[in-house]
Amino acid sequence: MTWARRLAWLWLGVVVTVALSVPYLPLPYSPAVPDLAHIAAAPGSTRHWLGTDAQGQDVLANLLFSTRTVVLLTLPAAALAALLGSLAGSIAGFWGNRLRVPLPYWLVALALTWTFLRLPGEGYALALALLAALAIIMQRRIRWRWPAFRLPLDTILLGSITVLGAVPRLLLVVAITSQGITATGLIALLALLAWPEIARLVRAQMQRVRVLPFIEATQVAGISSSRLWLRHALPHALEPLRTALPLSLAALIGLETTLSFLGVGLPPTVPSWGRMLAGARLNPSSYPSAIYPLILLITTTVALQTIATIPFIIAHKYNNIKQLKTS
Amino acid sequence: MKHLFPLGLRLALMALGLVAGCTSQPPKELPVRVRWTRDPESLDPLFLANQYAIEAANLLHLSLLQVDFSKNDFSPALAEALPTVTLLGDSLTRLTYQLRKAAAWDNGQPITGHDVALTLKLMYCPGLPNESARAQAGFIRSVQVDSLNPKRFTLTCQGQAVEHMQASGDFFILPEAVLDPQHELRPTSLPELQKRIPTTPPDSALSRLARRYLAAVPMPGGPAAALGCGPYELVSWQKNQALRLRLKSRWWADQLPLRPFVLQARPQRLEFAIIPDDATAALALQHHDIDLYPQVSAAQFAQLRASKAARTQLAFYTAPSYDIVAAGFNTRRPALADGPTRRALSYLFDAAGLLQATQLGQGLRTVGLIHPNDQRNYNRGLKLLPFAPDTTALLLRQAGWQQTTPKGPWQRQSKAGPRQNLALRFRYRADDASFETIALQFRAAAASIGIAVELLPTEASALTPNLQAGDFDVYARLIKGNPFLFNFMPALHSSARGAGNFTGYGTPASDQLIEAIAAARRPVQKAKLLRQFQATLQADAPLVPLFFMATRLAASRQLRGLHISHLKPGYLITTTERKSTSSPTP
Amino acid sequence: MAKQWLWRLVQTAAGIWLLASLVFVLSHLGPVQGADVLLPTAGDLNTAATPGSFAQREATRRAVQRRLGLDQPVFYVSWQSATDTAGGYWRWHGLPNQYHSWLLRTVHGDWGTSLSSREPVTTQLWQAVVYTFPLVVITLLFTLLLAWQLAEQLAARPWWQPLMQTALTGLQALPLFAIALALLLLLANPEVVAWFPPYGLGQTTPTDVGWGPWLSSYAYHAILPAVSLMLSVLPAVTLQLAGALRNELAQPYTATAYAKGLSQPQVIRRHALRNALLPSLTQLTDLLPTLVAGTLVVEVVFALPGMGRLLVQAATTRDYPLLVGGVLLIGTARLLALLLADALYKWADPRIR
Repeated sequence: MTWARRLAWLWLGVVVTVALSVPYLPLPYSPAVPDLAHIAAAPGSTRHWLGTDAQGQDVLANLLFSTRTVVLLTLPAAALAALLGSLAGSIAGFWGNRLRVPLPYWLVALALTWTFLRLPGEGYALALALLAALAIIMQRRIRWRWPAFRLPLDTILLGSITVLGAVPRLLLVVAITSQGITATGLIALLALLAWPEIARLVRAQMQRVRVLPFIEATQVAGISSSRLWLRHALPHALEPLRTALPLSLAALIGLETTLSFLGVGLPPTVPSWGRMLAGARLNPSSYPSAIYPLILLITTTVALQTIATIPFIIAHKYNNIKQLKTS
Repeated sequence: MKHLFPLGLRLALMALGLVAGCTSQPPKELPVRVRWTRDPESLDPLFLANQYAIEAANLLHLSLLQVDFSKNDFSPALAEALPTVTLLGDSLTRLTYQLRKAAAWDNGQPITGHDVALTLKLMYCPGLPNESARAQAGFIRSVQVDSLNPKRFTLTCQGQAVEHMQASGDFFILPEAVLDPQHELRPTSLPELQKRIPTTPPDSALSRLARRYLAAVPMPGGPAAALGCGPYELVSWQKNQALRLRLKSRWWADQLPLRPFVLQARPQRLEFAIIPDDATAALALQHHDIDLYPQVSAAQFAQLRASKAARTQLAFYTAPSYDIVAAGFNTRRPALADGPTRRALSYLFDAAGLLQATQLGQGLRTVGLIHPNDQRNYNRGLKLLPFAPDTTALLLRQAGWQQTTPKGPWQRQSKAGPRQNLALRFRYRADDASFETIALQFRAAAASIGIAVELLPTEASALTPNLQAGDFDVYARLIKGNPFLFNFMPALHSSARGAGNFTGYGTPASDQLIEAIAAARRPVQKAKLLRQFQATLQADAPLVPLFFMATRLAASRQLRGLHISHLKPGYLITTTERKSTSSPTP
Repeated sequence: MAKQWLWRLVQTAAGIWLLASLVFVLSHLGPVQGADVLLPTAGDLNTAATPGSFAQREATRRAVQRRLGLDQPVFYVSWQSATDTAGGYWRWHGLPNQYHSWLLRTVHGDWGTSLSSREPVTTQLWQAVVYTFPLVVITLLFTLLLAWQLAEQLAARPWWQPLMQTALTGLQALPLFAIALALLLLLANPEVVAWFPPYGLGQTTPTDVGWGPWLSSYAYHAILPAVSLMLSVLPAVTLQLAGALRNELAQPYTATAYAKGLSQPQVIRRHALRNALLPSLTQLTDLLPTLVAGTLVVEVVFALPGMGRLLVQAATTRDYPLLVGGVLLIGTARLLALLLADALYKWADPRIR
């Protein structure tokens, strides 16, 4: 590993450690508590080491607790997005539009959706589900082939990605969160915005992996396609996550900071870099206090971008390039 | 090396040079330029959405009585004198007005009582956004125009409140000739219109009236129709950018030999620039892009005064204001339904600290809703509430609350059965930093004794509906007050629950007191009742008045005659003039 | 090929309609139903108004709602939670509901009137677009020009290449609002240097002072916003293009070109650039929607009366006709960008034709 990547990992480790340990640190002041006697104090002038903002809140405490907000908000969102995206992308990439699903499974799905939506006639739906389950068991025993209908997974995935990309993300989030949103809701929303990119990358990779010789060999050996997908194809299809995950994390951090800057989303008692920068905008004379969150933001994003770049050889592992290039 | 300046950079530099070379030249005669925070949204005289719309409407239209900055009271504007008041029985009041002889519309037609009658009928016309106007002037039951002298008319009002005289002259008069040229509505009387059921479809005359009215109301970017008899006319209205007004070349009041103060109009051109951001407004003032910056925040004011460059160019004014920053509790919640709990919680506000933090000490702490400067009515016997969370804990225990663990949540077993928890939701206006400071301070103080407070910053337009619906536990807002009107009915009477009484407070004793204050005529009796009311309010604590604000204004040194006052908007634009030679500030 | 392209267009249009419907339904679920926005601010002590009876107030509120058409149900169906039983049921409302009327009106071109300003939505959107569109177009052109020049320089590996790449990477790490804020605090701040005006667009209209000075005033006020937008999208485009160019320059055919006697700039411009553009086409066609999204932030920071600020205001004040109209407009812009992208692909890559 180069020294740049070592530094990047070190910095990210520091950020996560601070985020997890900050409630237990012996800070002189808590965040979100206004010190009414020292409004907008300069750094070093009072016991507030980095000064206070226009509300009288301690800048240092806010800064440290903001890292906690960022980590606890964007990390789960990125993980959720990665989970959803890789699942959807790998399934769509592996089976494409070729998957045929037998009739009983369709009926079970229909019945479950009916019950979940609490549409009228729930009793009938449950009876149908039971019948279909019986049919599935019957198929295993008697080996009777039900008619199977095609499930266009690939089209569904690409369609959802296009639909989600129709309106700019920021506008969508502002419109949905304008009345306030809980932290869990925000995590879900961020995950919803980040999964398409990952799904697209994983799908493309899976399409490349699917035509490799060793997959064909495994198919010939008689392994079922779901086992093939899970055990053999998926680990290779997840390669793009090495670059995609840090980059989507960086994008989510940027999105969350922009939302706090615009004042949309989290309540004011949750410290965030964006909120600190918004405060600096309202008071241009206190512009030095904007430097700290800005530096942290740049450093974290650059660190994430550094760990996202991977060596050339590994990147082209699947491209069948005979000659090695030095770049 | 020649590629060090690529094409794009070259183009950019050229563009910059071009632009810097020909910046706009200022026009010949400078209008008086005032800063507004928001767009007025509507110049419809029946529906004025915010204070800026009211300010613009005051320049474009006239009402019978107008607020007089020199007297701090109402003075006759369109009316020749204050109306004669006759009390009929014990429930009606009759007000007789005489309009000025010279009063006329732009086309020369005289203003008569028929115009007043039509304006009142407009408030009940379906299809128009006249609901708020109806609420304001709903106490006027009928209008009779004198057949011999159309400039004389009589209003019959419901109730005998003292404030009816002022309120009866407080709406803008609109022309019958424009809105109802064929006099189709003269046969319909006002009581008939008031009795109309809203669901019946309007007849042709009413729908024609509504259509003509909607066509005549000025819209942004549209033509300026002549609906008003005020001194100014609309030149242009650019949404969210600027509103421009110009003095009418021939205005009826120019002929008056002795122009009363309320009919003065000195500046030739007025421009209201809409700059939402405070910092950019301060910069604009220093760059001479605007001349008047009203309602400066305390921090901004201190910053401007500290800058040496600003001090030489600008003049700074301060005046006491009658707006109160107050917090309120939702008495409809079971946990907050009793007075002792609310009184205990009122010790959690650090009013002195908040005054220092948000207003930099400019303002006055108060025990009630009366200004401390009001010698006669302010109750000096009551003490200011200190900041004492320990007292809160003590009083909460006395009210029956218990903590299971020290610094843990508070609970109370109510007589009805269910266990009550003390966890509060605090609502306040989202875009104002001072309310956020108040909310954060309350939350920190409450957390120190174990009460959980959730902050809910609410958008300004959504705040009132949420408060009316009772979707909060504590709120903090600015209550606009009035030094000579002591009408607590809209805010604290039980009949106003769901309208202006956000706290939902109202006991028979307090209702009786409020009604007595509204009906009292003698000052001594009124003072006694007001003092009693302040004591009741401090004991029951549905509202916790924190402090009275002060208004601050920064203006260019060239402006004269601003008449800074606590009356809205804080300055009088019609007497403001620009003097090019510098002289000591007034 | 055409079928696939048409299918993508249909999907995007469906997506836009779905999102607009979602925004429509969500805006109606809050406590502000439009009617309450228009009643006077109660609770102040400076009026002589008496509150009126509860029945009167309710009648007034219902009258306002009726006037605005807000008393109809929101959607074709709604979930009614029963009070006595545990669950609830779906209730069918039929055709007379707000969503249906909105759908019909929108398809016929009537996008409604804004709740706060009572102006037609189309007029407001048009006025905002007039301010935003020039900004976006100018930024796009300058970005493309600058990125082209910079990428050409970087591909030739001059001595300042590592420095420039670090600078661009650092710039890429900053979100747009941070760049805009930094420029505002550095260049439009009387405490530091005040070369540029930080607010709005000049206080004059073309009719006041004539088109020439107005245009120059517009340009003067639009510089900082345009520069921040440009700086936020420039690094990605430049780095991608430079990388692709460098790849192309390592290909065998460039060796042939050099052997024929062409200089490096000529090789870049005539041969390498066209091939290097292909991988960047997706990014370039995404540039316009990215800039449109960026104006949301930039207009709030610099207080410009444009599309972004209008939509943020509509979202926070729950002015749902305006919000839904804005979502529809931006979605349509996206559709156009998609069309343009596909046309560009066909023209650029002969292999696709």
